[in-house]
Amino acid sequence: MKFLVVDDSATMRRIVINSLHRIGYTNTIEAEDGADALAKFDRSVSFVITDWNMPNLSGTELTKALRSHADGADVPVLMITSRSVRDDILTAMEAGVNNYIVKPFTPQILKDKIEALLPAAAA
Amino acid sequence: MSTQRAQEVLYESEAALRLVDQELYDQHEVPRGRHNTPAAGYAEVPQILVEAQEQIMSVLLQLRESRAVLQLSSESRFQLTHEKLREVTSATEVAATDILDACDRATGLVDELDAIDGAQQPDRAKAVQVRGTLRDELHVMMDALQFQDITAQQLTHASAVLMDMERRLTEVSMLLDNSFGIDRSTPIIDEPLDDSTFDPNATTREAENRQALADQIFTASKLPAA
Repeated sequence: MKFLVVDDSATMRRIVINSLHRIGYTNTIEAEDGADALAKFDRSVSFVITDWNMPNLSGTELTKALRSHADGADVPVLMITSRSVRDDILTAMEAGVNNYIVKPFTPQILKDKIEALLPAAAA
Repeated sequence: MSTQRAQEVLYESEAALRLVDQELYDQHEVPRGRHNTPAAGYAEVPQILVEAQEQIMSVLLQLRESRAVLQLSSESRFQLTHEKLREVTSATEVAATDILDACDRATGLVDELDAIDGAQQPDRAKAVQVRGTLRDELHVMMDALQFQDITAQQLTHASAVLMDMERRLTEVSMLLDNSFGIDRSTPIIDEPLDDSTFDPNATTREAENRQALADQIFTASKLPAA
């Protein structure tokens, strides 16, 4: 299972990837913003973890673009963001985000959210 | 008061200042013929002074209103920015403390491994367990570094507030004298911040409560409609 980790913060990308490795997911690629992620996305990617606030293409814009992508309509998208007001969460959901993690997060929350979405990824 | 109103006030202040400027210029450029009849020129002076006083009073009124607008809009924003900067300090300290605590525990674990290795019959099973705990402590250190992303957003927000205030103050200073030393075309900070790259509400606080709200919303969306 290949994970695409998208965040404009190099620190956060390392932390997320490190957490993924810890919980057993070692196949990861990374992108520094939504546009970069869209360029790197293909059918080999089975799970997307994205930040919201990024230059070029935000996490919600990326999700919308993925939903209209030939290989991205059903790919699970997990958003990890500092945005946590109700309207933001609803906006993310409407964009097509499958689940939502608020920063700062723990590896256990990441593990729980991924496992909750895995049946969707496997389907 | 809205930004639009503030801009209107600034515009009106500038227009009033221009009127005064024009009036003074016109008086300075009195036609030469009129200088030949000093009595007529002096007769107009009181009226000119009255008009100038009215214009100046109008300008002062506009400037007072501008000041009030600036004060109102800046106070709350500066207060919020101040709180954000204090939170950055606090978050940095908490993260540093977490990392130092993890370092202390990791050092203790390394000592424990040394003791196991130095024993006549090293307890390999125990060593495996200690190494696992040591890895966990190293990950704790890495997780604590998440504060960097959040505090970076808070600092960017504070910077955006300062840039906005700089722009407003420059506009006011241009009203007072737009011909001396300030080039309107080259702002002091020439790269505006992209506000899509940071969350002005980013915080390290109450992560559990905020996560619970997100979980509640996503869970509710998956429930079948009644």
